[in-house]
Amino acid sequence: MSTTLRRSRLHRREHLVAAAFIAIPVLGFLIFTAYPLLFSFYASFTKWNGLSDPVFNGLDNYTEMFADPYFWKAMGNTVFMMIGIPIGLVLSLLLALALNRKMRGTTFFRTVYYVPVISSLAAVAILWQWAYNGDFGLINQVLAMFGIDGPNWLQNAETAKPAIVIMAVWKGIGFSMLLYLAALQSVPRHLYEAAAIDGANAVQQFRHITIPMLSPVTFFLVVTSIIGGAQIFIEINIMTPTGGPEFSTASIVWYIWQKAFNYLQMGYATAMSVVLGLLVFVITAIQFQINRRFQFSID
Amino acid sequence: MKSRILAAAGAIALATATITGCSAGGAGSSGSDEITFMFRGNDAEKEAYAAAITQFEKDNDVKVKIIMTTADEYSTKLKAAITGKQIPDVFYVDPGSVQAYVKSGIIKDITKEVEASADLDNIWAYGIDSYRFDGKIMGQGDIYAMPKDIGPFSFGYNKSMFEAAGIPLPDADKPYTWDEFLDVATQLTKDTNGDGTLDQWGTGLNVQWNLQSFVWSNGGDWLNEDHTKVTVDTPEFAEALQFFADMSNVAKVTPSTSDAQTLDTYQRWMQGEIGFFPVGPWDVPTYEKLDFDWDLIPYPVGATGETATWTGTLGIAVSESSKNADLATKLAIYLSTDETAQQSLVDAGVQIPNLKDMADSWVTASTLPPANKQEFLDIANDYGRPLPANTTYSAEWYDELFKNIQPVLDGKQSAADYLAEVQPRMQELLDKANADAGIG
Repeated sequence: MSTTLRRSRLHRREHLVAAAFIAIPVLGFLIFTAYPLLFSFYASFTKWNGLSDPVFNGLDNYTEMFADPYFWKAMGNTVFMMIGIPIGLVLSLLLALALNRKMRGTTFFRTVYYVPVISSLAAVAILWQWAYNGDFGLINQVLAMFGIDGPNWLQNAETAKPAIVIMAVWKGIGFSMLLYLAALQSVPRHLYEAAAIDGANAVQQFRHITIPMLSPVTFFLVVTSIIGGAQIFIEINIMTPTGGPEFSTASIVWYIWQKAFNYLQMGYATAMSVVLGLLVFVITAIQFQINRRFQFSID
Repeated sequence: MKSRILAAAGAIALATATITGCSAGGAGSSGSDEITFMFRGNDAEKEAYAAAITQFEKDNDVKVKIIMTTADEYSTKLKAAITGKQIPDVFYVDPGSVQAYVKSGIIKDITKEVEASADLDNIWAYGIDSYRFDGKIMGQGDIYAMPKDIGPFSFGYNKSMFEAAGIPLPDADKPYTWDEFLDVATQLTKDTNGDGTLDQWGTGLNVQWNLQSFVWSNGGDWLNEDHTKVTVDTPEFAEALQFFADMSNVAKVTPSTSDAQTLDTYQRWMQGEIGFFPVGPWDVPTYEKLDFDWDLIPYPVGATGETATWTGTLGIAVSESSKNADLATKLAIYLSTDETAQQSLVDAGVQIPNLKDMADSWVTASTLPPANKQEFLDIANDYGRPLPANTTYSAEWYDELFKNIQPVLDGKQSAADYLAEVQPRMQELLDKANADAGIG
């Protein structure tokens, strides 16, 4: 009897230890994720300046939002800037293919393309801001060598958005390239050998073996880039601190931040965040749905 | 990925809190003999304040905990601290936030203490008035903060360039009219090395920081007297904005038509390619190293014949919820008015003295440029005005003017048309801000 008692006490202690270990992340989740999430949902129905206590005001924030032209403009800008995602995917796949071949200097190039990924986004944004400078900027100086008179990139409503897209693609390309490179190297050789025996040429092999085998990575990149793209902020805030000429580069997160911290409209900002969060959730869910069907067709 | 990092950070924070058994600590609830001071600034400011604070600690037998952030992070961090009810005892506020902080009961009315212990006659009235609020109008009523500094935004010119071109130097006491200004700027705009492209310009001004002078000296303004009506759609305002845009588009005395970016003209000024350029006290340490002679003059004048410009300022406020309010108030007053602390800030070149008697001796004693330092003091004393958004609950209505102004600067839309179009939008935002502030 004494032995069983001792054993159960031992068990109890193990359970306690286990519970303690589990408690830390669970509590962390409750305090730092679940509670803020629920609170912000509540705050989106309040008038709140971020300083005093929030006051419930029903759907006011939501009706204001749908009538707010800057909300729609910022949403539109955010979606527009996502054209960088497919461009980045194609470029990084091409780069990965190039660097997957056996040739001299691949390590060097892999490093070069990866450097922007590990650099601080703030520092990179400042560098690009200089590069885009209309008078002294590197980009216009290079263009001038070919006799092209470059625009004042970030001060021009037509070029400001593309300028930010170019920078974001440049910054993100190394990350996607690395994932593609890893995926390329894990494609089983024998698939290509079998295809070659069946008479498939390089293009057919690429289309019917490489692309499908890379699809999980592509899926991952598309999902994460859209989530990340919806949250674009630092580049905007540093390169165009006033939201760009004619509000042309203001992203939705930038607008939310502006309303919350500069214009004392925390409640309204929270309502916009809730809408953004829901949108991202729905889009991601749709992607998973499409992906499931797509994966089935491969099998 | 972001959420995973957040979760990890949360877990770590939690673990630390459990281990140290200190979950309630933090800025607001510190012990009775410790007060916290949150501020932002550069290294020189930090050093100057650190020395002053050590002295304060010794004199009052108190511990001051310093929280310093970068300029970019300051407002976000302070707001987070306020939301989390961990308000520092003493912290910086800008005049534009005073109304909101007062309405929300964040900052303390320190009128009595200030009047009892500071010599208000010796401090720039502008500095104190920027933090007065009577519940409706800024600039009068009770005092809610002490000025950390005031920043008279003056106008400079490249003296060497004038001498090389044989143009008589501007008179520091008699400002140019707009016509005279344009005339000189045109003479200064030229191709100095004969390669067919311009490499020297009259001026190059950023609309956001320089339009004020032109509007005010022409008799226009952003708001009516009781801050209830946006008045940017007046002929005086339109004329000033049009003049500002025409400097680039018609007279072509600025580097390039589409160019309103400060970075460009700032660098060109530093390289000695620009005739007239704004100078704030914070620019002086950098401009001291320029390899040409420069000095200060008043801004050119429009229809009123009176020069005008704005004066920036930052305040030091005391938290309403401070457990140690007396000492906290004492610290705020001390940082604003203590001579040793002021001297080290002035020596660091980041500001002009807050104390008038000190400023008077600074003007005559210092041999470093600019020679006409008196101009800074004249602005501080006589004619500097607050930026329009500093006197309202939120700056949203003010920023609206600049959001879509680019076509005017590019000469694609007339100033009058644009202002007529933007006024209702600004008015709507001002009404909203006033309603939020409880001002009807």
